Amino acid sequence: MTVDMSVAVAGMKLRSPVLAASGAFGYGTEVPLLDRRALGGMVSKGIFLRPRTGSPPPRIVETPSGMLNAIGLQGPGVDALIRDYAPQWASWDFPVLVNINGESVSEYGDLVGRLDGVPGVAGFEINISCPNVEQGGLYFGNDPRAAAAVTEAVRRRTTLPVWVKLTPMVTDIGVIARAVEGAGADALCAVNTFVGMSIDLNAYKPRLSFRTGGLSGPAIRPLAIHLAHQAARAVRIPVIGIGGVTNAEDALEFLVAGCSAVQVGTATFINPRAIAEIHDGISAHLELRHLNSLAELPRYLPRD
Amino acid sequence: MFLLNARITAMREVARGMAVISIAAPEIAAIVRAGQFVNLGWAGVFLRRPFSVYRADGERIEVVLKAVGRGTSQLLAMGPGDVISCLGPLGHGFDLEAGSRTAVLISGGLGVAPMPLAAKEASALGMRVTWVHGARSIDELCSESAGDEVIWATDDGSRGIAGTAISAAPDGDVVLACGPNRMLAAVADRWPEALVAVETYMGCGTGVCLGCAVPLTRGGYDRACKEGPVYRAADIDWAALPSHLSYAVTV
Repeated sequence: MTVDMSVAVAGMKLRSPVLAASGAFGYGTEVPLLDRRALGGMVSKGIFLRPRTGSPPPRIVETPSGMLNAIGLQGPGVDALIRDYAPQWASWDFPVLVNINGESVSEYGDLVGRLDGVPGVAGFEINISCPNVEQGGLYFGNDPRAAAAVTEAVRRRTTLPVWVKLTPMVTDIGVIARAVEGAGADALCAVNTFVGMSIDLNAYKPRLSFRTGGLSGPAIRPLAIHLAHQAARAVRIPVIGIGGVTNAEDALEFLVAGCSAVQVGTATFINPRAIAEIHDGISAHLELRHLNSLAELPRYLPRD
Repeated sequence: MFLLNARITAMREVARGMAVISIAAPEIAAIVRAGQFVNLGWAGVFLRRPFSVYRADGERIEVVLKAVGRGTSQLLAMGPGDVISCLGPLGHGFDLEAGSRTAVLISGGLGVAPMPLAAKEASALGMRVTWVHGARSIDELCSESAGDEVIWATDDGSRGIAGTAISAAPDGDVVLACGPNRMLAAVADRWPEALVAVETYMGCGTGVCLGCAVPLTRGGYDRACKEGPVYRAADIDWAALPSHLSYAVTV
């Protein structure tokens, strides 16, 4: 018996519920030991209209069961993305969504306008939650009006799927989730990294040059599952769970908590085979429970 | 690139607190070049830890390490028979080309790590190899060496020349260096064309996470794990590269 692992996220058919999170695979062209059959899709490294050099080192630090990063959205800008990467994506057998960043509402819209219709671009993940940029990012993610304004600006420029990636650094994620849903988002991604800090006791200063960074890895998983669940209860559109997924059990927790799919990021840095192992582990779990498809997995999603 | 569950086959002490670990990794040993590294993982650490390959003999690779934090202490507590996860070979090593007559290898402390393999490759290309081998004191000086001539240098004069490896080094057609970043910055002042292996914090080791940024004199950053860890010394913006990696509380 083969378990049907496919899932449709707001009309986008994915062969697997396991996706590569933004930042985990770069632009997909240098991924070590990639096992495509297990990959539902990939979200590109975050991109701005213009090239960005990123933050000075140190950019990462290990923390208990996780890591802090402050890469600063280093990237080549949209022209290079269209020239160098999108043509490669066009021939791949899994969808690539572009992670979209801007310093203003209009910049988000302009960036999506540039990318809409470019062969290889299957959709957009709107990043209103990056903690590692001075302008924009997190600012748009913790104000429901700003979050809705960005979503509307993007929605007007494309008919492709628009996923909005939410920050955990809010009082009530349901408020932001509903605002973004109302503004036309097709799906939500919950959650981006938590803002954290680590101090170097030799130098008596932060370990990261940006002072703060985004915390990822298993350290945030229970927090992320809770937030993804809260978001899923607040809206009718699909939610993609993100946060410390390392193995199939972790992914299944997000799925049962109400998510349609999961993204895997930090785990792939440590285990290049993580996505394949997670895919195969979910499949084995479903088979063990005599479920024919992922759609038959019981969900815990009481409506308020 | 290979991802192996590899067995530790041997471990030997080469200086106070410094050990060489042999790992059965034939796929990596067969192709690794001097200056390349492996990213090792074991129960107890979250991220993998990068190590230059010290020697490779066809079946086994060796890495050299010192306890600088919790993770390396755990690795040093392992022994023959223990299995670790080994990803590699990674990075861009020393590009040595035939035609040079002399190679000068300069190491400070743990900077010995890529040198035995570099000495072997330089010798194979017909170069006369001088290894200038420095540390703070004789206790911290790796006891192993390679090449046609070895010059020892200690800050306190307890072995060889009293002073830094740089001050003890002759000029050569090719200069290779590895050690603390502040030592490499001094190498860059004297030999801008030197090939230096830098040390950074590292996330994935495979080029995707952009965590191991190396600031360049032409502006911007590239990746120690992909374009590096070996660079032309003059290409690095040394003032912007952390001079010291703080792994643990030191006194």
